[in-house]
Amino acid sequence: MNAWSVSFEEPVPYQEGLDIQRRLLKARQDDLIPDTVLIMQHRPVVTLGNRGRANYLLKTEEEYRELGIDLFHAERGGDVTFHGPGQWVLYPILYLGGNEADSHGYLHNLEEIAIRTLGDFGVEGFRREGKSGAWTAAGKIAAIGFRLKKWVSFHGMSFNVSNDLTGFNTIVPCGLVGEPVASLKTILGDACPETPSVRDALLNHFSTVCDRELERFSSDGELPAALNG
Amino acid sequence: MSVPQDLFYAKTHEWVSLDNGVATVGITDFAQSQLSDLTFIELPEVGTSFEAGDEAAVVESVKAAADVYAPVGGEVIEINEALDDAPELVNNDAFGKGWLFKIKVNEESEVDDMMDADSYEELCPND
Repeated sequence: MNAWSVSFEEPVPYQEGLDIQRRLLKARQDDLIPDTVLIMQHRPVVTLGNRGRANYLLKTEEEYRELGIDLFHAERGGDVTFHGPGQWVLYPILYLGGNEADSHGYLHNLEEIAIRTLGDFGVEGFRREGKSGAWTAAGKIAAIGFRLKKWVSFHGMSFNVSNDLTGFNTIVPCGLVGEPVASLKTILGDACPETPSVRDALLNHFSTVCDRELERFSSDGELPAALNG
Repeated sequence: MSVPQDLFYAKTHEWVSLDNGVATVGITDFAQSQLSDLTFIELPEVGTSFEAGDEAAVVESVKAAADVYAPVGGEVIEINEALDDAPELVNNDAFGKGWLFKIKVNEESEVDDMMDADSYEELCPND
C-alpha cells in the first residue's frame, strides 16, 4: 500500500501541528489523500490526553508560562506528556478500519517502530507489561497516545532523541509515578545520532512495520496539492 | 471473529439491533479488538438527539480514544450504565452486555442503508 510522509524541518508550534493533523484527518476520511505520516518537532509544550488528570501537572499555568512551556488539552488517548525540540513526534494519519487492519494492532505497531529504531542505534528497547510505549534500561523513551475518528488515526508517538528532558520534571509523565524518562542523548552521550538520521530510521521502520510504501516529502519542498490547505 | 447474522452494521464498526422502533447500538467485536482493553466509555446523555453519523460516544483504552457514531437518527432513551464500572463488558461481550445506548429511531428505514452481516464481514480482516 502506498502512503506519504511529510517531515518538518523546523519545530512546529503545537497548535499549528494540530491544525495540520485535523485538516489531513478530514482529507483522509474523505479519501482525498492516501495514508500520510507527519513527522515533526514541537516547541516546548505539555499536553494532557482526553482524560488527562491535571494533578499530573506539577506547575501552575503561570509557572508553565514563565518557563516558556505551552499547555494544551489534546483529544488523544493517553495521559500527560512533554514535547520539545530534539524530540521527534510521529503523527500517522491512517485508515485503520478496513481490510488492511493489522492483527497486532496499531499500538503494538507504534511500539515496534520505536524499538526497531532504537536497535538501529545500538540501544536495546522493550515493552513493559501494562505500561505502553517503548522502554530502555535507562527509562521510557517513546510515549504513545492517539485518537481515531471514523477509524482514521491522528496524534501518535513521541521519541526522545536529544531533547532537554527537564520539561518532563514539570509533569508526571503518562501518569507513571517514579518512572524515569530517557533519550538517545542520555544513553549514548556524544555518540548520539543527528536528529535527521533518527527521523529517517523512524520512517523506515514505519514503512516496514505498518506495511506501507512511503513517498517522502519535506515541508520545505514541493508537496502534493492535496496536502496543502 | 464473530459477526452475528441478525444485526445491522455501519462502516464505522457499530452494530444495531432494531426492536419496535428502538435501536440498541454497540461497537463490533472487530472494533473492540482493535482498541484493546477499554478503560473508559463516555456515553451520551439520555434525551440527546442525534442524526445518523453524528458523534455519539467515545471509547477509550489506555493509549487510544475512538469516536462512536450514531448509526441511525433519533433520541437516546437509555444508556448502559453498567459500563461506568465495567467498561471491559465491551471487550468481553461486544454484541451483548457491552451495548452502549438505545435510540428511539426517527426513521426505521435508515437501517436499510446499513450493512448485513455478510457485507460487514467482507470489510473486516480475514485473520
